[in-house]
Amino acid sequence: MSVVIDSNVQPHFRYNAEIRRYLPAPHKLRAIPDVEQQWYQAPGGDYRADLYGDGYPGSDPETVAHHLFEQGGADYAVLNPLTRGNIADYLLNSRICAAVNDWLLDRWLEPDATGRFLGTIRVNPEDVRGAVAEIERLADHPKMVQIGIPMQSREPYGKPMFEPIWEAAAAHGLPVAVHINGGNGVDYPPTFAGHAYTYPGYAAFMPLNSFVHLATLIIEGVFGRLPDLRFVFSDGGYDILTPLMWRLDTFWMSMRDQTPWVDRFPSQYLTDHVRYCTSALDGPTDAGLTERWFEFTDKSDLVMYGSNYPHWSTTAPADATAGLNDEQRAKVLWRNASELYGIGTRAQGSPT
Amino acid sequence: MQRRAVCPIEDLPPGSMKLVDAGKFGVGVYNIDGELYAIANYCSHEGAPLCLGYVGGTTEYDPDSLDRIRRVREGRIARCPWHNWEFDITTGENLADPKKRVRTYRVDVVDGQVYLTA
Repeated sequence: MSVVIDSNVQPHFRYNAEIRRYLPAPHKLRAIPDVEQQWYQAPGGDYRADLYGDGYPGSDPETVAHHLFEQGGADYAVLNPLTRGNIADYLLNSRICAAVNDWLLDRWLEPDATGRFLGTIRVNPEDVRGAVAEIERLADHPKMVQIGIPMQSREPYGKPMFEPIWEAAAAHGLPVAVHINGGNGVDYPPTFAGHAYTYPGYAAFMPLNSFVHLATLIIEGVFGRLPDLRFVFSDGGYDILTPLMWRLDTFWMSMRDQTPWVDRFPSQYLTDHVRYCTSALDGPTDAGLTERWFEFTDKSDLVMYGSNYPHWSTTAPADATAGLNDEQRAKVLWRNASELYGIGTRAQGSPT
Repeated sequence: MQRRAVCPIEDLPPGSMKLVDAGKFGVGVYNIDGELYAIANYCSHEGAPLCLGYVGGTTEYDPDSLDRIRRVREGRIARCPWHNWEFDITTGENLADPKKRVRTYRVDVVDGQVYLTA
């Protein structure tokens, strides 16, 4: 068994008030919504059924380590905590991101002597100056391997006002992970056409918003200007990648002269700039089709295993790679993440 | 392939094109700043009459200007009337994907007479 890197884990606070220990004095008494304040709740609960009981699911480092490493077979886990609540105050939201980062270091990363937990610097894109400052504050921490931002955004991430954040991330060689986040800023409709009424409508379509961010990052020239910038879409959504990239490539043939900074087919930016985490909802329902489907649009080089622990849709390494051939499986389970994050080279049996 | 007379050179001044009934789809003979070029009247995308589209320039990335764009190669670019694909008349290359070429032909001038080999 080779190395397994779990690139998508959400650790949680033990209880709602825990965040207050990490907030600076002016913000300590501000109202902050509960961890679970979301518009769409999964039937049966958001988290894996066996995790309800002692404490909040995914909140105890030892239990999480036991589930991911001893039971799940992973060697490394990239922790990407969500940030709390629907709050319009963007300055407060940046302090919440900083509190989440300090909490992640204090409770998860620094006590972990095994080096298996790696972290995400959460920043608030609504506050560009604050986000850049937070990257500068923590980018040199050896266990912080990426920047984290919400999928929900007032504008697509290719818009120029966000570019200083991407410049800072690229300058430090840190990928930017986009993850659906119940909080951080005000919430937005989960589909291009407005609000879904039910959880299935939400869960099926919400991850697809990643394509709007991706398309603008290509077309507005952000990837072209920042060769070291990498984006990770942590909620999957790669099953629509092929038809939408075909569409983008087709339009580019006809309208190249309007965006001459795009100097190659839009699809040719993917390998250098884009990764996805596996998702329980992506892929053909017939596993016999998976191997061939995975080669469309070079998905073998783009997709990294992510368990999505502790959510109800938590996926084990074997299930996330069912139907893949050996080479595809190695890329998904460790190679793609190892190259992206520069980790996995110390573990036993690692071919890197 | 055969070499055929097109017209006297004074009937094909710079900036003009003559569509010649040659081959299956016709061939456009262009005078660009005094140099003669010929391309098939057949877009490599879906077979549209390429030579009936506009001839103009194209754009280039200009990182130092405010609009990040500049106009270049004026008079050298044929634009397909169906889907806007751009081809450089002087080379036959598609600007977005050089592999998607349009066929080019040899043009020469002898004693003031333009000849096309197509």
